[in-house]
Amino acid sequence: MNLTQAIKMAAKSIFSNKGRSALTMLGIIIGLAAVIVLVSYAQGQNMAMNAYYESMGTNIISVSAYSWGGGGQVDIGKKIHNYCLQLDGVAGITPNGYVYGDPTIKYESKTLSRNRGGGSFAVVSPGGMDGGYQVNEYPEIRMGNDYFGVCNGFTIARGREFSYLELENMSQVCVLGAATAEYLFGFTDPIDKTISINGRPFRVIGVYQSKGAKADLGNSEESQWMEESIRRQDRLVVLPYTMTRYFNNNESISDYVIKAKTSDDLKEITTALNGFLSTIINENNGYYYVDNPQAWQKQNNEANELQQRFLGGVAAISLLVGGIGIMNIMLVTVTERTREIGIRKAIGAERRSIITQFLIEAAMICGIGGIFGIIVGYLGTLIVGKLSFGTILIPSPEITVGAFVISVVLGIIFGMYPAIKASGLQPVEALRAD
Amino acid sequence: MLIDIQNLFKIYNEGKESEVRALNGVTLTIDRGEFVAIIGASGSGKSTLMNILGCLDIPTYGDYWLDGTDITDRTDRELAHLRNKEIGFIFQGYNLIPALSAYENVELPLIYQGVPAGKREERIMEALEKVSMADRWRHKPAEMSGGQQQRVAIARAIATHPPIIMADEPTGALDSKTGKHVLEILHELNREGSTVILITHDNGIAAAARRIVRISDGRIVADGTKEEVGL
Repeated sequence: MNLTQAIKMAAKSIFSNKGRSALTMLGIIIGLAAVIVLVSYAQGQNMAMNAYYESMGTNIISVSAYSWGGGGQVDIGKKIHNYCLQLDGVAGITPNGYVYGDPTIKYESKTLSRNRGGGSFAVVSPGGMDGGYQVNEYPEIRMGNDYFGVCNGFTIARGREFSYLELENMSQVCVLGAATAEYLFGFTDPIDKTISINGRPFRVIGVYQSKGAKADLGNSEESQWMEESIRRQDRLVVLPYTMTRYFNNNESISDYVIKAKTSDDLKEITTALNGFLSTIINENNGYYYVDNPQAWQKQNNEANELQQRFLGGVAAISLLVGGIGIMNIMLVTVTERTREIGIRKAIGAERRSIITQFLIEAAMICGIGGIFGIIVGYLGTLIVGKLSFGTILIPSPEITVGAFVISVVLGIIFGMYPAIKASGLQPVEALRAD
Repeated sequence: MLIDIQNLFKIYNEGKESEVRALNGVTLTIDRGEFVAIIGASGSGKSTLMNILGCLDIPTYGDYWLDGTDITDRTDRELAHLRNKEIGFIFQGYNLIPALSAYENVELPLIYQGVPAGKREERIMEALEKVSMADRWRHKPAEMSGGQQQRVAIARAIATHPPIIMADEPTGALDSKTGKHVLEILHELNREGSTVILITHDNGIAAAARRIVRISDGRIVADGTKEEVGL
């Protein structure tokens, strides 16, 4: 007897007992759906967090170093900069300075000011259709060099980054975040327009692409918070780092952001930087701090994976119970069909044929149940995704395929005992059964 | 010689107080082309004899050559092949598989024999034709009368063209008219060359056989024509 024949026979027997087959499948359907929904839920939880980390750019190292003795602070910044430039894996390094003191930003009639408390700030909305919502939020004024965008995960949408001369000459130019540009300029092109910061004119030379426009992480509290954190990065004004002399009383910038070429480079640079900084800074003359957000992301991902495994394990138990249900029903089937087995043996069925028939039947019940389980799991995941995260959550293909394979394997494992039992029946005994 | 049984015993619970000797030293030979009726009261051992003849059961002691093959120490698998190739069974209760149509029931032994799908249809329809059931090939057992079911069962038995047809009370569940029809089919098959072994407790049915074997208490007590056996 060949396999197609056996599959046909199994299908026949499953469909001639629709009610019982459906009840047997129920265990597998529930088990599989539970695995899919729970694991997808855990993955969904991680989604917002990962999007947040990704928005900050990949392979990023942030360095803070400050020294009150010896060579002084300017030197530290320069030293870090020069040291990093001669490392192979560095794609770019930028100072990451902040302008403190909340200056007033103006363009024609539009004003952004924290002091007056009236400056409302437009946030670029995901679709841009509803005009975005208004948040009373003041932009961040940062100071960097020509690698600011690269290192902070921004791409230029219009215009360009700073040039070397603009940085050296302390030129009064700026690059705007997407939300700042939209608030100040609306639909007009900001390039070469001049805004004022504390009355001092700055020519706009570039605008970054929006990060927040792509961020739709759903409407759960956590993902809303993450989304807001990403959108905040669009409320930006970047000035040449040399402007620190004007805005921050010539204080040197002590924060740097380094972009590594690969994640392997990231590790090497982190180690090298720590080594380098330990030679020039000790606890008596300053502090330093080297950090990469990806390490946090990794830790977060690992914790999440653990949670996925735990939830998956809990759901797998229900799948196991479903499998035992299969065995139970298959045993009943064997008893019920003892006579049929006897007939089949009398007309020449080998043990092997009987085993194959029952195994395929069990595997098919589980396989069909598995398909329904996947459908129910997808629907469940969509519902759970909508309710918990407010977004469209779809189970990963790995989980789906894995769960299906497991259910078929369960069918074969739990069908084994009944199949062997059926095939071992003596034809004479089996024929006597009613 | 097609069937050669020498000094066959079938003993249940041997050595215990409840020991039963269903067959107690049976010697029997049947030639190709014979029509043999085995008769006896219930409990005489005739069903046990048929089960052993049909390779559904194995004897406790004794020898059994089927078509020159010693079957007393065959494996499960070899017995299955012998049943498939050498013997066609017809049972009192028809024993069709309820979920399958007439066509599919007749197809089963061909599937187990490994006849490729393309070649099965012809043989199935030929077998159904022979019992005048070709027009009912689509019907399930529940949609047929007892006589029709038994005819399908006969078609199943002859689909693989086995040399031996074994019928265990084939008319036991049928009214006399349909029973007669079924017997006619068996005689027809015999005329065409099949060896038919018919097991019955009905002397009237047995009387139509050329050779009658009477069994009692696990032994053959008479073997010959109906006159010789005393019917």
